Amino acid sequence: MLDHAAVQELVLEALENLNEERDPADRIEAGPRTRLFGADAELDSLALVSVIVDVEEAVSSASGRTVQLTDDRAMSREVSPFTDVEALTSYVVELLADPA
Amino acid sequence: MPQPSAADRTVLRGEFVDLRPLAVTDAELTFRWRSADRARFLNAGARTVGQQADWIATRPATEHNFVIQRTDGHPVGMVSLVDVDLVNRRGEPGRFLIGDEEAVHGIPAAVEAMKLVYRLAFDDLGLVRVCGIVAARNTLMVKWQKFMGMREEGLLRNHLFLDGQFQDAVFLGLLAEEYRTTTLPRMDALIAAARSR
Repeated sequence: MLDHAAVQELVLEALENLNEERDPADRIEAGPRTRLFGADAELDSLALVSVIVDVEEAVSSASGRTVQLTDDRAMSREVSPFTDVEALTSYVVELLADPA
Repeated sequence: MPQPSAADRTVLRGEFVDLRPLAVTDAELTFRWRSADRARFLNAGARTVGQQADWIATRPATEHNFVIQRTDGHPVGMVSLVDVDLVNRRGEPGRFLIGDEEAVHGIPAAVEAMKLVYRLAFDDLGLVRVCGIVAARNTLMVKWQKFMGMREEGLLRNHLFLDGQFQDAVFLGLLAEEYRTTTLPRMDALIAAARSR
């Protein structure tokens, strides 16, 4: 199973993919504390979707399990999993820890 | 069902953004947005503010053209629903552009704007299908539209002349039932994420 560090690497790769699509001036610095969406966030919804799609695909490919990051479970959380890189990483790890 | 003229159309209200009908007085602002590099994937538009004003003034009743504005009134972009066909009950979302990206960081402006357009299309106008093309090289938009439930229905080779060269276009379509089962929940999830602190 993917551990926390491996999942975080996939999230950061998704941000790098996004950066490649952006003008140099619009690129974001990707790290564990990079804020993704919501107050003081780096991304607009167009960019967030790109990250979500890439993370879902990368995690599914690496783990052999399909993960959905925008289902009711994500919506019902008090703190959004899209707050920052760390929150998204922890959420994916949590999903992968569930019985298949 | 007759379509109201552009002047009769009302503001579509959301939680973070509203869509207000595009007016001739928006010519200078929208011309500036459309002249920016981020609009490179849209079809070539007016070359002057005057041409832009003329273009706005002559939009037919089959088009619903909007300025996306934050609920505090700050304009941030534009979006349209065009070629509305009430016989075959279909239309084409398009001219989708966030012109002021700085103003929408952390705000689900794009997703809520599109949600309001889809609500207009499927709930208010009773359309059963929306469809349209996206430049194949506009990978962020293609990815976004597919995530929101659009399905790729074809690839149109050399369909667009953009940036001085012919480019392929991806033809995408969304049915009303897909909007309700896939699109709306995903849009609501992203909007909910923006509420979270």
